[in-house]
Amino acid sequence: MLFPVAAQAQNPDAPATEQVIQPEVDRRPVRIPRIDTEDFEFGAFAGILSIEDFGANPVYGGRLVYHVNEDYFVEAVIGKSTVSDQALFDLGLSLFPSREEDLTYYAMSVGFNLFPGEIFPSSKRAMTSTVYAVAGIGNTGFIDENRFTVNFGIGIRILPVDWLAVHFTMRDYLFESDILGGQEIKNNFELTLGASVYF
Amino acid sequence: MHPLRWTVALLITGIIATAPVRGEDVDLRVQVVESYVDLHTGPGSGYPVAQVVERGEWVEIILRRTDWFQVRTQRGKEGWVSRADIENMATETGGLVRLRDVLYEDYRSRRFEAGFAGGLLEGDSFMMARAGYRLHENLTGEITIGQASGDFSSSMLYYAAVLSEPFPEWRVSPFFSLGLGRFHNTPKATLVGAIKTESNMANAGIGARAYLTRRFVVRGDYRRHVVFVDEDRINEYNEVSLGFSLFFY
Repeated sequence: MLFPVAAQAQNPDAPATEQVIQPEVDRRPVRIPRIDTEDFEFGAFAGILSIEDFGANPVYGGRLVYHVNEDYFVEAVIGKSTVSDQALFDLGLSLFPSREEDLTYYAMSVGFNLFPGEIFPSSKRAMTSTVYAVAGIGNTGFIDENRFTVNFGIGIRILPVDWLAVHFTMRDYLFESDILGGQEIKNNFELTLGASVYF
Repeated sequence: MHPLRWTVALLITGIIATAPVRGEDVDLRVQVVESYVDLHTGPGSGYPVAQVVERGEWVEIILRRTDWFQVRTQRGKEGWVSRADIENMATETGGLVRLRDVLYEDYRSRRFEAGFAGGLLEGDSFMMARAGYRLHENLTGEITIGQASGDFSSSMLYYAAVLSEPFPEWRVSPFFSLGLGRFHNTPKATLVGAIKTESNMANAGIGARAYLTRRFVVRGDYRRHVVFVDEDRINEYNEVSLGFSLFFY
């Protein structure tokens, strides 16, 4: 996104003798420089999502971030994974229409950059990094059911180059479910690795 | 802008991202007026100061991230300068740097707006995403996708609405809305005999919106949804929600 920068034109050194007749010259077109503003970050991630009672499965998804200021950001995440009742099926319980079912979740979160700093992969190279905390609300859906989901977690963002961010996140997704009978809170842990670009 | 950035963006997202509007390719050169200016390694005051630029030196502004500016010195070193420091630098025409920010006036002339909201739909937790286009100072056309997850069923709502703002100049501006759409209800798999339904719906709402900061708008809604289940049955649901939007002008 681009914003114009207004540079105030002034005449720093006016000549000592004033010219009586102003010559008619074409004005040079004023070119207002624009600064490339990069407050958005867009990327993808992949990892492992563990759904309580139904095993851990690969997860992948996308992430859109808007950096409000140097400390805070807001984030929208959408992810896809699967759930399996194979273990319960082996014990003689069949819960799902098929052994493996799709799972989709989304979350809107607020993040806070906790520890800005640098990572030194070698003695000659430094990459800026931040450890951040996130918390938010969203939804987890599988087998025709949607569950209001609260998430919180911690992540590290490393910038190998100025426009690219590598994310490593650890996040917990909490929802209530009665799928095994009684209503209880399910704790679902996720580990992801992702990359995103600033624009 | 680095061409590789977009190549990577396309590779990792697999979708075509539209390139942002490019400004004129004029680098903004600014000169240090204070005795020195700190160059941080990253866009934040928590990043260490790796070097300084002294009075009289020129730097080129490369890009901006929130209120931090990446600059390149005459010796080719790069670093990040705070907004307060940039505004104490001089431009090539002699004046101090003036930055144009998103202002309340831009909010007044906003065109496009998109955001999320959360709340309750008849006691069930309710989340929604919406996007709007301002047709007139007082009128906004809006589309909403909402999802409610309850103990017995979950619902998806899709509707288009018209919002009328009688006093758009007020800081906290009330609005009224009327909408039409579809309502999908899916009972829990554990419920026996319940069936999925798809119906038309209409809704009416009142609410208020306020400019928060930068590109942010906060908004609260109360809405009543009327779902036409079949010829002789209608269901009514009350929605209370609070949401945030980003606007573009």
